[in-house]
Amino acid sequence: MSPAEHDVPRSAVDSFEESLIAIFLGLMTLITFANVVARYIFNDNILWALETTVFLFAWLVLLGTCYGVKKSLHLGIDIVIARLAPGPRKALGVVAIAACLAFSILVLIGSWDYWYPFATKRAFLEVNDIPMPGFLQFLSDWMNDGEKYEKIPRFIPYAVLPISMTLLTWRFIQAGIRIMRGDVYTIIASHEAEEILEESAAARTASGEKEG
Amino acid sequence: MEVAILFGLVIGLMMIGVPVAVSLGLSSIVVLLMYSDGSLASIAQTLFSAFDGHYTLLAIPFFILASSFMSTGGVAQRIIRFAIAVCGHIRGGLAIASVLACMMFAALSGSSPATVVAIGTIVIAGMRQVGYSREFAAGVICNAGTLGILIPPSIVMVVYAAATDVSVGRMFLAGVIPGLIAGLMLMMGIYIAARVRDLPRQPWAGWGEFFSAGADAFWGLLLIVIILGGIYGGIFTPTEAAAVAAIYAFLISNFIYRDMGPFALKGAPGIFMGVWRTISVFWHADTRRTLFEAGKLTIMLMFIIANALILKHVLTEEGIPQSIAESMLAAGMGPIMFLIVVNVLLLIGGQFMEPSGLLIIVAPLVFPIAIKLGIDPIHLGIIMVVNMEIGMITPPVGLNLFVTAGVAGMSVFSVVRAALPWVGIMFVFLILVTYVPWISTWLPTTLMGPEIITK
Repeated sequence: MSPAEHDVPRSAVDSFEESLIAIFLGLMTLITFANVVARYIFNDNILWALETTVFLFAWLVLLGTCYGVKKSLHLGIDIVIARLAPGPRKALGVVAIAACLAFSILVLIGSWDYWYPFATKRAFLEVNDIPMPGFLQFLSDWMNDGEKYEKIPRFIPYAVLPISMTLLTWRFIQAGIRIMRGDVYTIIASHEAEEILEESAAARTASGEKEG
Repeated sequence: MEVAILFGLVIGLMMIGVPVAVSLGLSSIVVLLMYSDGSLASIAQTLFSAFDGHYTLLAIPFFILASSFMSTGGVAQRIIRFAIAVCGHIRGGLAIASVLACMMFAALSGSSPATVVAIGTIVIAGMRQVGYSREFAAGVICNAGTLGILIPPSIVMVVYAAATDVSVGRMFLAGVIPGLIAGLMLMMGIYIAARVRDLPRQPWAGWGEFFSAGADAFWGLLLIVIILGGIYGGIFTPTEAAAVAAIYAFLISNFIYRDMGPFALKGAPGIFMGVWRTISVFWHADTRRTLFEAGKLTIMLMFIIANALILKHVLTEEGIPQSIAESMLAAGMGPIMFLIVVNVLLLIGGQFMEPSGLLIIVAPLVFPIAIKLGIDPIHLGIIMVVNMEIGMITPPVGLNLFVTAGVAGMSVFSVVRAALPWVGIMFVFLILVTYVPWISTWLPTTLMGPEIITK
């Protein structure tokens, strides 16, 4: 929360990703809350609320994972690698990143296999509750032989799978390059603890400033 | 054989520095491709179903967000002031008040490290000022912080409910009495230690301070009523309760406590500025920052959970839980022996793995056996949660140890030693909870009727 944190120059992509994470979580919370309000105050139900929240959740986590790789946020165990000499440590780092790449590429293949039918021969399949906004109706000409969609087609929410896995593969390649060059020796956050502490330190500075 | 390869791979990958989530996911994919005709597309589908197939897991981001708003919004300070006003005058009172504050904060947040940070940063310094040793203060906070996942709401309980299809509401209720007992046991331990070591007491601050601190903390503590009352009054689902809690925490920290957001600026705003500040609260830097931090935690946690769900998918696909259950039952294992095995398994696993991920993996393995042996699923859940608590305060990978070390400015090793006597209390508590099912099941059964999942 300290103002200093905001002064640190970050790339435009970083700020874009960070804003996206904040906006997705904020929207999920507001939509779920609005549905409760609608039920008790207006005696109504926002039909599309739950499904929209769920899809936002999936997009938040799957895209956010790529941001996490870029910033080395993912948890892991470093008790072994932290004790090794630089040589073997680098070798293990390369093996580890190869495993990560194997993961992201295998899931990317699976995601494509899963998504592709929804974009082609099953393009008529719609989600359960979210109505199709008018400005997207051009998709019905492109994908659905001109037949109008009432709800949004399934290939839209599922598209996050191939998109995020492509991006994830790219982030792992970048991380691999960093390890090869010797900039870093691991892609994991040695411990979540430091992260939490940074936050609390920032929070204390902020409240201190306000009192002072 | 598959089991050995699967878990061998998971552990091997983790040891060479592959992120926990990727280790779980990759090992499952390898085993699936080697031993069955499952397709990669089914893996992608399972990954997506972590979000659209488990509505309960949706509560996790909201509880994390609520907790973030409360930590930055000054709720913790007010709770601590109230706790000191209540029991500061007892011998060892500041340490006892810290436990009470941890219990109250645990009833607002669903995570242990968050509780340690929120309460520990303030009270450890306070205890040192009045003459407690740093080790004593750190040991107490490190242990009391684990109550964060036992006293509802609790992220770990949400995960258990999602993994086994028991009701989240039931799990939350089941945590209340064990949480109170664990807190009281820690308090009694502190009181005895305080007598022996002649630790200081605070002067009784008087009823004035009691009521004024209580009134100040009231808005924060009201959240407990909103969450639990809302769920059990049938007003909202646990997921909705979590979202309401997040919005409520956002509102009180910005508009009532004003420790963050546009109203944290000094000086009374004019009408125009007041309106402007009210509107701008939604995109104020503090709000954005809190949303982003909570989002980051959600991403890390959910990516592990999603991959653990892939592993669970492979386990079920291969019928592994059933075969383990049969061989264990064939070996003539009774309920008591079985619970010991579960405890040992979780205590070892809990030292290396993040609690939520571990629960997703272990729960489907032991759940069918427990049901066959007639163990109540809710009781099993509480046993697992208490095991996770102990895992967080035992080396080598106890999350609370690391957080406490940072908060108290000590080395992890000295925190381990400082926490040790209190870990003993938690062990006694674990044995109590394991062999007295009544503690966990009485409240949910009384309020919600008998458990229905018994097959």
